[in-house]
Amino acid sequence: MRKALFLSLAFAMPSLLPLSGPALAADPSIPVLVPITGFLAVEGKSQRNGAVLALTQAPGGLKVRHDVSDTGTSPEVAVNAFERAIDDRNTVAVVAPMLGTQMLALLPVALQAKMPMLTMSGTAAITQQGNPYVFRFFPDDHVTKTAQVRFAVEERKIAKPALIYQTTAYGQSGREEILKLLKARNITPVYQDALDVSQKDMTAVLAKAQAAGADSLLVHLHGGPTALLLKAASTMGLKLPIIAGSGLSQPSTLALLEPAELATSCAETGSSPISAETPEMQKFVADYRKAFDQDPDAFALGQYDGTMMALQALAGGANTPDKMTKALASTTYKGLAMTYKSNGKGDMAHSAVVICFDGKSRVPTIAKHYDVN
Amino acid sequence: MLALQLLFNAIALGAAYALVALGFVLILNATSAVNFAQGDLVMVGGFGALAFGSLLGLPGIVLLVPLLVVMIGIGFLLAFVAYFPVRKRPPDTVFITTIAAGIIMSNGANAIFGPEPRATPSLVSSGDWQIGGLVVSYQSAAVIIVAAALIVGLHLLFTRTQIGRRLRATAQDRDVAASIGIPVNLMVAATFAVGAALAGAAGLLLSRNFFVSPTDGANYMLKAYIAVTLGGWGSIPGAVIGALIIAAFEVAFPALPALIPALAPYAEAFTQVWSTVVLYVLILLILWQRPQGLFGEAVRARP
Amino acid sequence: MTMPATPTLSPSAVPVRQRPSPAMLVNGIIVVLLGLYLVWSGMAAGNYTLRVLSIAGIYALLAIGYQFIFGHAGALALSQGTFMGVGAYASGILAVNYGVPFDLALPISVGLPVLLALIVAAPVLRLETHYFALATLIISQVVLLIAIEWISFTGGANGIGGVPPIRIFSVTIPPGWPLLATVWGFVALGALLAWQIARGRLGQAWACVRTAPSAAAAIGLDASRLRLTAFLLSAAYAGFAGSLYVHALRVISPDVLSFPIIVSCLTIVVVGSRLRPVGALLGALLIILLPEWFRDLRDYYLLAYGCILLLVVVIAPAGLLGTLELLAGQLLPASPSPAPSPRPLEPLAVRGAAVKTSEAAAAPVLDVSRLCCSFGGVRAVDDVSLRVMAGEALGLIGPNGSGKTTLVNLVSGFYVPDSGRIALCGENITGRSSYRIARAGVARTFQTVALVEDMTALDNVSIARDVNRIGLGAALRVGLRDPVQTRAREEAAFLLEQMGAADAMMRPAGSLPYGVRRRVEIARALAVQPTLMLLDEPAAGLNETEQSDLAQRLRALLKQGTALLVIEHNMSFLAPLVDRMACLDAGRLIAEGTPQHVKSDARVLEAYLGTASELVPA
Repeated sequence: MRKALFLSLAFAMPSLLPLSGPALAADPSIPVLVPITGFLAVEGKSQRNGAVLALTQAPGGLKVRHDVSDTGTSPEVAVNAFERAIDDRNTVAVVAPMLGTQMLALLPVALQAKMPMLTMSGTAAITQQGNPYVFRFFPDDHVTKTAQVRFAVEERKIAKPALIYQTTAYGQSGREEILKLLKARNITPVYQDALDVSQKDMTAVLAKAQAAGADSLLVHLHGGPTALLLKAASTMGLKLPIIAGSGLSQPSTLALLEPAELATSCAETGSSPISAETPEMQKFVADYRKAFDQDPDAFALGQYDGTMMALQALAGGANTPDKMTKALASTTYKGLAMTYKSNGKGDMAHSAVVICFDGKSRVPTIAKHYDVN
Repeated sequence: MLALQLLFNAIALGAAYALVALGFVLILNATSAVNFAQGDLVMVGGFGALAFGSLLGLPGIVLLVPLLVVMIGIGFLLAFVAYFPVRKRPPDTVFITTIAAGIIMSNGANAIFGPEPRATPSLVSSGDWQIGGLVVSYQSAAVIIVAAALIVGLHLLFTRTQIGRRLRATAQDRDVAASIGIPVNLMVAATFAVGAALAGAAGLLLSRNFFVSPTDGANYMLKAYIAVTLGGWGSIPGAVIGALIIAAFEVAFPALPALIPALAPYAEAFTQVWSTVVLYVLILLILWQRPQGLFGEAVRARP
Repeated sequence: MTMPATPTLSPSAVPVRQRPSPAMLVNGIIVVLLGLYLVWSGMAAGNYTLRVLSIAGIYALLAIGYQFIFGHAGALALSQGTFMGVGAYASGILAVNYGVPFDLALPISVGLPVLLALIVAAPVLRLETHYFALATLIISQVVLLIAIEWISFTGGANGIGGVPPIRIFSVTIPPGWPLLATVWGFVALGALLAWQIARGRLGQAWACVRTAPSAAAAIGLDASRLRLTAFLLSAAYAGFAGSLYVHALRVISPDVLSFPIIVSCLTIVVVGSRLRPVGALLGALLIILLPEWFRDLRDYYLLAYGCILLLVVVIAPAGLLGTLELLAGQLLPASPSPAPSPRPLEPLAVRGAAVKTSEAAAAPVLDVSRLCCSFGGVRAVDDVSLRVMAGEALGLIGPNGSGKTTLVNLVSGFYVPDSGRIALCGENITGRSSYRIARAGVARTFQTVALVEDMTALDNVSIARDVNRIGLGAALRVGLRDPVQTRAREEAAFLLEQMGAADAMMRPAGSLPYGVRRRVEIARALAVQPTLMLLDEPAAGLNETEQSDLAQRLRALLKQGTALLVIEHNMSFLAPLVDRMACLDAGRLIAEGTPQHVKSDARVLEAYLGTASELVPA
C-alpha cells in the first residue's frame, strides 16, 4: 500500500508543475501539427512527410526547427497542440491539420494569435470566414470536384451517374460540391449512397447502383473504402466507368489493388507525383522515397510546396508571423505541382488533375489538367 | 442470384465475426468481465499475418499456424497485464485495463506498420469459381471453411479434452473448480489465450478481403459486443448466431431495394447508414422486450 | 449482477463528526493545494497551460456528474459523452444560428440532455450491467449518426465553426485566465453541490441500493427511482460541461459525441475516485494532462499514455484519492465520533388507508391464501394458506429446501407468486414490488445478514427512517445539517440501544461481530415501524445469552402489536417465543397449530426424518 501511494504521488506530482512547451531557441520554428493517429493518419502522415522533407531542404542554408505534434482526430487535441506550438516565440508559421473540423476550431485561435497556418484541408468553409491567417495549398473541394465532374461529363460523356460518398467531413462536403456541379449541367444522380468507413461488403451498394440504371460511378471515398469498392466492382464484373476522388490517387490505396481492378478507373487529385512528368518531380519522388521509404501522394507534394513557399518567404526576410502572413498573401510561388497564389481568401491552389489507369500498371497517367478559378 | 451472392458474402463475413464474438464470450464466461481489447486483437492478428506473410512468403492458410502460436502468447500476456492485477476488483476495472491495452495495441501497430490500410496474403490463392452468376472466390470459401473448422475444433476442445472440461468448469463456477483441484488461474489465462487466438484468426481471415489498419479495432469490438448481447450474454451458440445475424444485416439490409422491386423507389432510405440505425434500434427494442437477449435465459435474482 | 463496491475504499457516507476525519482532511488539503495551483497558473502560466487546465476543468465537471450514475448508482453507463455532446450541440447551435449567449441557452443545453436521459431511461435503466452498458453505447452511436447525417442542422461531420466565447451576464469571457477562472468556478460549484448531495441521505440511499440491493428494497427504498435520479443528475452535469466545452473550443464537432470522450470520463472516475468529487478533479487533471506531457514522444505518445493508464489503474486500486485517504487513515487513526442522543420513535397513528376502518383493524395482519410458486417445474411453495394476527408470532419450520425462505420472499415481494393471494391488513398486496410492500409496513431480515459494510451501524438503521423523504429536492433544501437526517439518527440510536447494540453504533457495519450485525439488521427492520416482521433464522449464529436476549426483545415487540413470522430451526428459541407454528415440507403446509401440537405431529416428524436432530432442543 505504501508503494502504491508512493507511485501514485509520483504520478500526481507533475500535475502540479506547469506544462512545458518546446524549449526556446533562437532558430525560427515551423511546427508540424498533423493527425498521425486515428482515421486520417494516412493523409496526415503524407502531410508530415511533405512538410518535413521541405524543412530539411530549406533554401539558403536556413535552419528551421520543426516539432511534429499529433492532432489525432479531435478539435480539442488540435487546439492544445496549436497553443503549445505558438507558446514558442520563434514560431513563424504552423503546418496545420487537414481535418476540416480541427481547422474550424483552430481558426479563432490563429486569429487571436495572428499566426499563419499552412493546411491541406479541402473543406470549403475554412477559407470562407474571412480569416486572413489560413493558407490552403491543396485545391479545395470546388476545384477538385470540378475536375472530377467535368472529366466525367465532358470526356466520359456520362449522363446517369451513381454517387457514392463517405459519411465523413471529406465525403459530405465533396458530395455537396458534386451535386451542385452536376445540377449546373442538368444531371441528377440516379442513385446516391453514404458509406461509413467501416463498411466492408460493397455488393449491395453496387447492385443498387446497377439496378438504378447508372452508367457510371462517381466515387468520393477515402482510400481504403475506394479500394474495397473497386475490388467488389471487379468481382461483380461491373464494367462501368469509375471516376473517383483523390483517395484513389494515394499510393497506399493503389497498393491494395491489382492493376486489372483499376482498369476502368480515373480519379481527381491535386497532383500526381508518382506519374513524375518533369525532372524536378522525379527528384522529389526520389528524395521522398529515400527519406520515408514510400511513394508520395498529392497531399505530401502539396504540403511540400506550401512549406517550401513559406521557407522561401522566410529566406526573404519574413521572419515573423506577421511578415509571413503578408508574404504568403501577396506573392506567387511556382511549386512542383502547380503555381500557388492566394485568391484573397487564402486559397493558394487553383488547379487539379484527373489521372487514369491502363489496367496493366499501378502508375497512373495524367489524363487531363484543369484550372479552376 | 443476387440473393444467393449476398447470402454467401454474409456467411463469409459472419463466420469471421463469429470467431471474434466467440473469443469475447469465452473470456466473458471465465472472468465475467468485458475484454474491450478483443477488437484490437483482430487488428493485431491482421498485422501479424501481414508480417508473417512478408517474412515467409507463404499462403495464409499456412501462416495461420505461427499466427495462432503468437496470438496465444499475446493472450497470455493480456491476461497477465490487464486481468490478473485487477481480478479482485469490480468488473468494470477490466473494462478500463483492456481499453488501455487496446490503446497500446493500436498505437503500437500504428508506430510499427504505419496507418495505411494493408491487405494480407490470400488464404489459398486468388481467383474464383463462377457458378451461374454466383461468384465464389477461393478466399471467401476458404474463410468459411477455416472459420467452421476452428469453431468445430473449439467445440471438440471443450467437450472431448481434459483441458476443455477444466476450462468449462472454471467458467461455470470458479470456486467449485478450485475446490476440486483445477488450477483456476491457469485456466483463466488459457481462456484469454484461446480468445486471442480466435480474434487473431479472424484478423487473418478478414484482412485479405477487407484490409487491416490500426484503427480497425473499435469496429470489431462493437460487432462482437452486439453479437454476444443479441445472442444472449454468455451463450456460445448464441454468439455465433448473433454474429451471423449482424453480418446478414450489414450485407443484406442495404440490398433490399435491389432484391424486392417494390422497395426500389425507396432505395435511398436503405443506405448503409440507415441500416446501422435500424440495427441499433432493433437491438434496443429486443433488449427492451427481452432484457436477457434473444437466446439468453431469464434468471430470477436471489435476494 | 450489481457492481460490488470496493469495501472500505469507498466510504459512502460522512457521519456527523466533531473533528474532520482523516479522509475529509485529505480532501480538504487537496482542494486547497489545487486551488493554489490554479491561482498560480492563472497568474503565471502561458496560454497553452491555461487552455489545457481549462479543458481539464470541463472534464472534471463531466466526471463529477458521471459519479452519480457510475459511482453512486453503480451502473456502467456509456452515455455520458452523449449527454455532453447534446449539451454542446444545443448551446453551440443556439449561439451560432440564433445568437443566444451561453447563459441564456443553459436551460436548453442542460435541459435537453436531461430530457434525453428521461426518454431513454424507461427502456434502458432496468437492464443489468453489461446490457445496460451496451444499450447506452448504442444510444450514443445513434445520436452520433444523427449528428453526422443531419447536415443542414448540425453541420454534419465537419460541424459548425464560429461559436462565440462564453458570455455571462453580457460579459464575454476571453480565453486565458478568465476562461480558466470561469470554468473552475463552475467546477467548484458543481463539486460542492455533488458533495452536498452525496454526503446526505440520498448518497446513503444510493450506497444501500448499490451494495445491498435486497436490503434496500426491504426497507422501502425505490431502487429504480433512485437510479433515475442519478441518471438525470449525470445528464445535467454532462449537459453543462458540454455547453462550456463548445464555447471554450469555439467549434461544434461530432467528435464530442465519439467514444474517446466516454473512455476519458470513465478513466477519470476510476483513476480518481468513483464517489468523491475531489477525486474527479484529480483524475481529470491527470488524464487530460498525461498525453500532453508525452507529446515530445511524438508517434509513441499515445502508446506511453496507454501504458501509464494501465499502470495507474493497476497500482492504485482505490483510485488516487482513495489511496491517499487510506494512507491518511493509517497515519491518523480516526477518533470515533460521538453518538447522537437516542430519541424514541413516535408511534404511527395510522399506516395507510387499510387500518383506518375498524373492520380492517380486525382483519389478520397477514393473510396468505392458496399461494403457489414454482421454479423450472419445481413447486417451491404449493398451495399454502397462512394467517398471522396483530401481536401474534407464528413460527415457520420445515426441513431445508422446504420453501420457508421462498414464502418469505413471496410475502415481501421479492418473488411474484404464480397464483394465490397475499393480503396485509385486508389489503391485497399480491404482485406489488418489494419496496412498496416494505412501505406498506412489512419488514424483514435475511438469512445472511445484508448490511452496507462501510456505513456505520447507525446509518444502516437511520436510512430506513422516512424513506419517502429521500430525493434530490430534500438533498438540495437542507443546509449544513439535514434535520431529517439528525432526527433519523437519533431514532436509529434509540432502536440500536433497544436491540442492545448501542456500543457498535458509530462503527462501520462491516467491522462488527456476527451477533451484533444480526441485531443491527433487526433494528433496521424495526426502523420501518412494521406491522408485520419477517425474520429469517434470526437466532442462527447467536450464543445462548444472545438468543434469550433476542427473544426478550421480540416479545416486547409483540406486546406493541407487531405481528411476527419467524423462520427458525432452533426449537428451544422458537417454541417459547411463538403462539403458533406451521411446518412446510416440499412447499406444502403439512401442519399448523400450537408448538406442542406441531412438534409431535407425525407428518412433521416424518418430514424431519434423517434430520430429526434439528427438532431436539439444542
